[in-house]
Amino acid sequence: MSVTTAVVLAAGEGTRLRPLTRNRPKPMLPAATRPILEHVLDALVEAGLQRLVLVVGYRRQRVQEHVGPEYRNVPVEYVTQYKQLGSGHALAQAREAVSGSVLVVNGDHLVEAEAVQRVVDRFETDDAPATLGVIERDDPRGYGAVTLDGDELVEIVENPETDAYRLINAGIYVFDETVFERIEATPRTAGELALTDTIERTLERDRVSVSRVGGLWVDATYPWDLLSVTTSVLDHDRVNLPERRPGVWVAESAQVHETATLRPPVAVAADTEVGPSSVLGPAVAVGRNATVGANVTVERSLLDADTRLGNGVTLVDSICGESVTVGVGVTVPGGPADIQVDDRVFRGRRLGAVLADRVQVGGAATLVPGTLVGPGASVETGATVDGQVPENGRVVR
Amino acid sequence: MCGIIGCVGRGTETLDTLVEGLGTLEYRGYDSAGVALVDDDDGLSVVKAAGELSALRERLADRALSGTVGIGHTRWSTHGPPTDENAHPHLDCTGRVAVVHNGIIEHYQSLRADLEATGHEFRSDTDTEVVPHLVGKRLADGETPSAAFRGAVDRLEGSYAVAAVVAGSRRLFAARNDSPLVVGLGGDEPTLDTADPAFIASDVPAFREHTPHVVYLDDGEFVTLDDGITVTDETGTRVRKAVETVGWDPEQTGKSGYEHFMLKEIHEQPRALRQCLSGRVDELRGAADLDLDLTAPTGVQFVAAGTSYHASLYGAELFRRAGVPAQAFLASEYATSPPPLGADLVVGVTQSGETADTLSALREAARRGAETLAVTNTVSSTADRECDHTLLIRSGPEIGVAATKTFAGQLAALNLLTLGTVEDVRSRRAVLPALRDLPGDVQAVLDSSVASTVAETYRDAAAYFFIGRGLQFPVALEGALKLKEISYEHAEGFAAGELKHGPLALVQADTPVFAVVLGDGERAHKTVGNIKEVEARDAPVVAVTDGQSDAHLYADHVLEVPETHPRVAALLANVQLQLVAYYIADGLGRPIDKPRNLAKSVTVE
Repeated sequence: MSVTTAVVLAAGEGTRLRPLTRNRPKPMLPAATRPILEHVLDALVEAGLQRLVLVVGYRRQRVQEHVGPEYRNVPVEYVTQYKQLGSGHALAQAREAVSGSVLVVNGDHLVEAEAVQRVVDRFETDDAPATLGVIERDDPRGYGAVTLDGDELVEIVENPETDAYRLINAGIYVFDETVFERIEATPRTAGELALTDTIERTLERDRVSVSRVGGLWVDATYPWDLLSVTTSVLDHDRVNLPERRPGVWVAESAQVHETATLRPPVAVAADTEVGPSSVLGPAVAVGRNATVGANVTVERSLLDADTRLGNGVTLVDSICGESVTVGVGVTVPGGPADIQVDDRVFRGRRLGAVLADRVQVGGAATLVPGTLVGPGASVETGATVDGQVPENGRVVR
Repeated sequence: MCGIIGCVGRGTETLDTLVEGLGTLEYRGYDSAGVALVDDDDGLSVVKAAGELSALRERLADRALSGTVGIGHTRWSTHGPPTDENAHPHLDCTGRVAVVHNGIIEHYQSLRADLEATGHEFRSDTDTEVVPHLVGKRLADGETPSAAFRGAVDRLEGSYAVAAVVAGSRRLFAARNDSPLVVGLGGDEPTLDTADPAFIASDVPAFREHTPHVVYLDDGEFVTLDDGITVTDETGTRVRKAVETVGWDPEQTGKSGYEHFMLKEIHEQPRALRQCLSGRVDELRGAADLDLDLTAPTGVQFVAAGTSYHASLYGAELFRRAGVPAQAFLASEYATSPPPLGADLVVGVTQSGETADTLSALREAARRGAETLAVTNTVSSTADRECDHTLLIRSGPEIGVAATKTFAGQLAALNLLTLGTVEDVRSRRAVLPALRDLPGDVQAVLDSSVASTVAETYRDAAAYFFIGRGLQFPVALEGALKLKEISYEHAEGFAAGELKHGPLALVQADTPVFAVVLGDGERAHKTVGNIKEVEARDAPVVAVTDGQSDAHLYADHVLEVPETHPRVAALLANVQLQLVAYYIADGLGRPIDKPRNLAKSVTVE
C-alpha cells in the first residue's frame, strides 16, 4: 500500500455539542464507552495505515493524553492548529509531518476500516490527484451532497436545500503530495479554508475520483445524537470489552452485583461498580469507574467516566458527562421534548437530560424532558428542573 | 549516577544503537557521554565529549567510526568535573581495553596508587579508570580477556555496574554490584543461548526499541555477550536466569505533543491513578484489596529520599491517625545513623526501586530483623526483589526528572496500604469513594486550573514559601521541592504553625506564600490564622483550597480543588502546585525535564 500515513482532523470543539464540549473537543466525546476518536483510529489501524498524524487544537491536551505517542502499536504524531480556520487550514498544518500521498479523515466521525480501505484502493488504481469517499443517504441536508459522472466527482453542494441528492461526501479523502500547494492556492472564504473548496478548485483543472463506501457511518451534531451514535456502536459490535452474552459487554475489572440485571444491548466499562437490584439497558453504555447504586433504573442513556448514580435513581434518554453526581431517588423520566439550541427549536426530540461534566444533582430532584445542565452546575435536593442551566449555575427549590 | 549501554550482534547498526540508547538514558545523567567500538580488524575506537548527548553526536558526525561490539555511557559527575577526559569510556595504557561504569568504587585511590607504582599512567580524575588498567595489567600477564575482566572486578569494592570491551575480542563483559544492570535478548522468543543481538543497559528503555525480552542480573553476577549470553555468579558457576518480557513500548518514552515530559506526566495523572487503584478498591463491599500477604503492623518506619520522603511523611501520618506508631526517615540518615528499630515493618518508598540510599536503609532494617515493604513504580527493581513485600504504584514510566505522577501514585498506594491493613470499616467507607473519585477530581483540576496565571504573576519573586498542616505539610514540602528543582528559585516548605517560630522573618512583600488549606476543621482554621500572619507582613498569599474554609477571603489568588475527603484532597492540592512549579520554570526558560545537577534515579549514596 503506497498510502501509509493518515491525517486525522481533531482540532475542532464542535460548538453545537455544547455544553458537553466544555473540557474536551468533539472527537473525545464518548460513543458508547470510548471516545469517538478511538473508533476512527481503530478503522485506520485496521485498514493498515502505518503512521497517524493528529491535528489538534481546542483542548488538545485531552487528545494527546488519551492517545499518547502510539495507538495500537502505530506511531502517532501531533501538529497543532492554533486557530480553527476550517478543514483545509487544519490539513495544511500537517504539511511538515507528511510526505507523499496521504489519507485524511475527520476525528469526530465514525467510519469503518473497509470504507477507508476502499477509498485508498480506488486512489491507488487511478491517476487522479484526489479520491473522495461518498456514501448513500436518504436525506442529504446538513451534509455535502455530491453529483457524479461515472466514478468521477462533478460537484459538491454543501447543505443542499432539497432532498433530491442521494450521495454525500463521506469525509474520507486521499490526496497526492500536491494537496498542500492546492490548499495554499485556494482562496479563503470569510477567513476560513474548507477542504471541499480545495477539491472544487481541483475539479476545475483535474479529475477527482470517487469511491462508494458503506458500513457504520455516524456522527453527532447535537448532544442527543450521542445516544443514537451509542446505539449504533452497540448494534455494530464496536465495543472492545468482553461480551458476557449476546449484547452484554462487561469489563473484567467491573463489578456488577449478582442481583443486578443487564438488558442488552448494554456495555459496562472498566472499574465500574453496579449495586444490587439495579436494571441497566437496553441501549445503555456506562463509562469507566462509574458507580451505580442499588435499585437504579437506566434506559437508553450514556454515562461517561466517573459518574455516580445514587440509590433509586431513574434515568431515561439521558447523557451524563464526566464526574456527574446524581443523588438518591432522582427521576429523569425521558421522552419527547422541544429543545432550543441557539436560535433553533428542535421539536419532539427524545431526550431526558444532558448533564455536562461535574454536574451535581441533589437527591429526589426531577429533571423534565429536554433539560440541558451546564458544567459544574448544581441542582438542589428536591428541585424540579426544566430548560437550560448555565455553567456553574445553581437551581434552588 | 550514570547510564550505560552495550550491544553485540547489531552489525553496522552498532553505533546508532548505542547513541540512540544513550538518548533514552539521559534522564540518568547528562553532563558527558561517550562510546567505544571494537571493529573486525582488531581495532578499538573511542569517542567522548563533555556536555549533553548532542555534543557527542556532533563529534561523531565527522568521524567514520565502525565496529560491531560496543559500549556507551552517559555520565553524571561524582569524581571529577564533566570534561572530555573524565567522560567514559576509559582506556588502559595500551588503548586496548575500554570500560564504562555506573556507581562508586570506594577504595580507588589505593588501587590507583598501586597501579601508578607499577608504571600505569592515568588520564582522568575518575574512580572508573582503575578498572581498564586492572584489566590491562592482567592481559599483559597473559590472561584471557574473560579472566582478566573477572579478576579486575573481583578487586573492586563499592557499587558498580561495569561493562568492558577488549580489542581483538568479539565479546562484551559486564558485572553488577549495587547498581542496576539489565540484559536484553534479541530475536523471537529468545533464550540465553539463542539471543541475537544481545544488549546490556542500566535500564530497559535503552534497548526496548529492539527487544522486550530481558534478564535482570543480581548483585555479584557476571555476564558475557557473544554468540548468546552467559551469566555466572561470583564463583564462576553458570546461572540459569529467567527471561522476562516487559510491556512498555519504546514510543511511550515520546512526548506525544507536549512541550515537556513533566507537563505530559502531570496530565497523565488521572490515568496513572486509575491504574494504581484498578482492582484494588471495592466501594460496594467497603474493602481495599492489595494482594499483599502482610499482617497489620504494630509499628512502622518509612525510609525514602526526596519526593518519596514527602510521600513517606504522608504515609506515616496516615498510620498514626489509625493509631499505629509510625515515623518517616531520610534514607541516607537511616542507613548511617539507624534509629532504634521499634517497628515490625519498614517501608521503603522509591520510584525507581534503585535509589541507593533507600536500598541501604532497607538492607539495614532487614539485617535487624524487620519485615520490609517496597512501595515502587518499577517491577523487578532491586527494591522489589530484595524486600519481603512489594506494593506497586503502577504509574507507568516517568521520564521527567521532577517526580509528578509517581508522587500521586505513591500517595494513593499509601492510602490503600493503611486502608487494607490497619484502618477500620468506617474509614474505608469514608475514604474509598473519595479514592474512586480521585482520577476524575484530578482531571477537574487539570481542566480548570489557573496555575499558569498565578505563575506569571509571581515569576519574579525573591523566594517562595509553602505552608500546610497535618497531611498538607508534606504537600507544602513537595510543592517547594518541585519549584526549587526545576526553576532554580529559592523555595521552602514549612509546617504552617512553625512559620512564626523563625521563617516569618523571611516573609516580605516579594515572597509569595502558598498555603494549602483543605476541609473546615481545626487544622484548616489554624492555617487560616497563619495566613493572616503572613498577610500582615504584606506578603502575597496564594490559597490552595477546596473552598470549605474562609481561606479565600485572605488570599490574593485562589487555586481551587474539588471538595472531597481532605486526606485525598492533598493529592489535588499537589497537582495545583505541580502546575505552578511547571509554569514558573517554563516562564523562566529552564530546561524542565533535565534540571542542572539532578538526575532521575540516584543510584549512588
